[in-house]
Amino acid sequence: MMEAAGYFATSWIDPHLLGLTALGTLAGVYIGAIPGLSVTMAASILISFTFKWDVNAALALIAGVYVGGVYGGARSAILLNIPGAPSAIATALDGYPLAQKGLAGEAIGLSTVMSVLGGLVGVLALAVAAPLISEIAIKFTSREYMLLGIIGILLVGTLSGESFAKGAFMGALGVMIGMVGLDPMTAETRFTYGSINLMGGIPFVVAMIGLFGVAEALIQLERIDKTPIKQAVSKIIPRWRDVRRYLGVGLRASGIGAIIGALPGTGGDIAALLAYDDAKRSTRKPETPFGEGAKEGLIAPEAANNAAVGGAFVPMLTLGVPGDAVTAIIIGALFIHGLKPGPLLLVETPHLFWFIVGNLTLANLFLLLFGLTGVRVFSKIVECPKAVLMPLIIVLSAVGAYAIQNNPIHIYWTLGFGIAGYFLKKYGFQVGPVILGVILGPMIDANYRRAMIGARQEPGQFFLDLLTHPISLMLTIALLLMLLAQTPVLKWFGDLLYRKRRTE
Amino acid sequence: MKSPPSLRPGELAFALLLLGFSLAAFYEAYQISGFTGLTTGGAMPMTAAAVMIVSGLFIVKDTLARRGGPAPSLRETAAFLVPPRLLIFTALLIAYAAAIPWAGFVAASSGFLLISIMLLWRRGPWWAAGVTLIAMAAIYLIFRLGFQVVLPMGTLWR
Repeated sequence: MMEAAGYFATSWIDPHLLGLTALGTLAGVYIGAIPGLSVTMAASILISFTFKWDVNAALALIAGVYVGGVYGGARSAILLNIPGAPSAIATALDGYPLAQKGLAGEAIGLSTVMSVLGGLVGVLALAVAAPLISEIAIKFTSREYMLLGIIGILLVGTLSGESFAKGAFMGALGVMIGMVGLDPMTAETRFTYGSINLMGGIPFVVAMIGLFGVAEALIQLERIDKTPIKQAVSKIIPRWRDVRRYLGVGLRASGIGAIIGALPGTGGDIAALLAYDDAKRSTRKPETPFGEGAKEGLIAPEAANNAAVGGAFVPMLTLGVPGDAVTAIIIGALFIHGLKPGPLLLVETPHLFWFIVGNLTLANLFLLLFGLTGVRVFSKIVECPKAVLMPLIIVLSAVGAYAIQNNPIHIYWTLGFGIAGYFLKKYGFQVGPVILGVILGPMIDANYRRAMIGARQEPGQFFLDLLTHPISLMLTIALLLMLLAQTPVLKWFGDLLYRKRRTE
Repeated sequence: MKSPPSLRPGELAFALLLLGFSLAAFYEAYQISGFTGLTTGGAMPMTAAAVMIVSGLFIVKDTLARRGGPAPSLRETAAFLVPPRLLIFTALLIAYAAAIPWAGFVAASSGFLLISIMLLWRRGPWWAAGVTLIAMAAIYLIFRLGFQVVLPMGTLWR
């Protein structure tokens, strides 16, 4: 216990780590707030610069950016009616009407306090749930890991974008990209076409910077001329009375956020929308109707999206399956540092787990500090024209791609991914599943082959194993239900049951 | 999950292109080890390509089902997909990537930033030059000195 407390406090007492966490959180608030810049984009660029650092320092910076960024989106949602990040879409629904009423300062103050509350609930959920899940996950075999990987990719495909087919296509495309290079089991070449550059595979950071950084910058080019309308900001420290009054809504939304965040593939954006919906249903008599400046409608998504941060770390640290796009990047950072997120992480490197818990807590406290100060400077920076920002993102993406292995070819690949990502985004494809595919593809491949070898290469035995082992069976059922949900079968079955009950 | 109300210009052609790409990917995956075993290096790539083909077929089917009204002209498709600003910016991007090994990171990036900010911001060359200078100084300080990234020098300066 004392040992864990010591690990927890690592970033609190080391001035270097303390400074990096503060810097990351501060930068995150601005990155999240500036429309067009996203946390995923920033984290993917940052990872390429920090991989030479000590793992704690790299994690402190990236976790700070993550926590700050998820919150930062709320500020531009309230002030400009432009959600700076997808997780702040629900925040704008009531945050902006509040600002129009001259209550921008109050809205920012309240959203900050509730974001911190949500963030801390999320961290608590991580500290409690992760060791429990790890204990179960330690019994997982390669079959279960294979199933988890497939479920992770499919969940992202199902929940984002226009159709399941598009999500599945992107996930499979990601798996294909992840297969490029030497096969780790047989040293056979796969899709290398005789190129030495392709032998080592395509670094997923290159794909990530291209798809999230360059592609987004190209998409944003269309919206370059739009000038946001800014609201005046007055008093920012919220009233104690308000905090106490809305504490229940905040806690409830935090719970939703932590659970949704913990599901592989779902992040702050979905958590925020669900919490908003829940607050709308559960608030019987709001002071102001929802959509016109209800404080409950501002608090719920803000508490939920920050709670989802802690939640997203749960599957990543215990199962090695990222909870969302940013944790997918952090998982990459851990791999680069030679660490293997999974059930053994808590046993082999407990210091890392408690360091992350302590660091996320610290980042939330910094968030409280930065969230309640510096609004004037903030509104100036947020107004930074996109005409300047977009070329800058391209240059940063180029440095980021180059810095991974000091290989200029990676700059071309990044730009190639960026241009391909642009066309895909234009036609309603989400790039999230590709990244998950690139990261989880090799894991699925290795575990599938191990499981198949374990079944003596007999498909019948392989499928029987999926159905006769309790954990495998549960995951197989979950996977089948996910697939069935995309077909009319479940609806047809539901209708049949309903009709039968009515005739009885 | 939300469905787009109508077909975007060029969407059917894009869906068919993706399907074609999937078929080519399957052929390439087959070349790795064919159907020789269940745990060969080509098994997972072939499975992934098969998933791409099946989902690609569904995407084509959905796209066909959403078809209605006259087909958009080539001009409409181009305006939707590659507006002039994007075309110019992408050309700049390619030129930038090509210039890095030759001119080095600092010179190529400065040129790219200056021209693109001038084109996009329209506040005159002095503003663009000022912003470029500040941005490049910040990038150099943060990445070269802070993160210690060895930026490409360029063959021109050797």
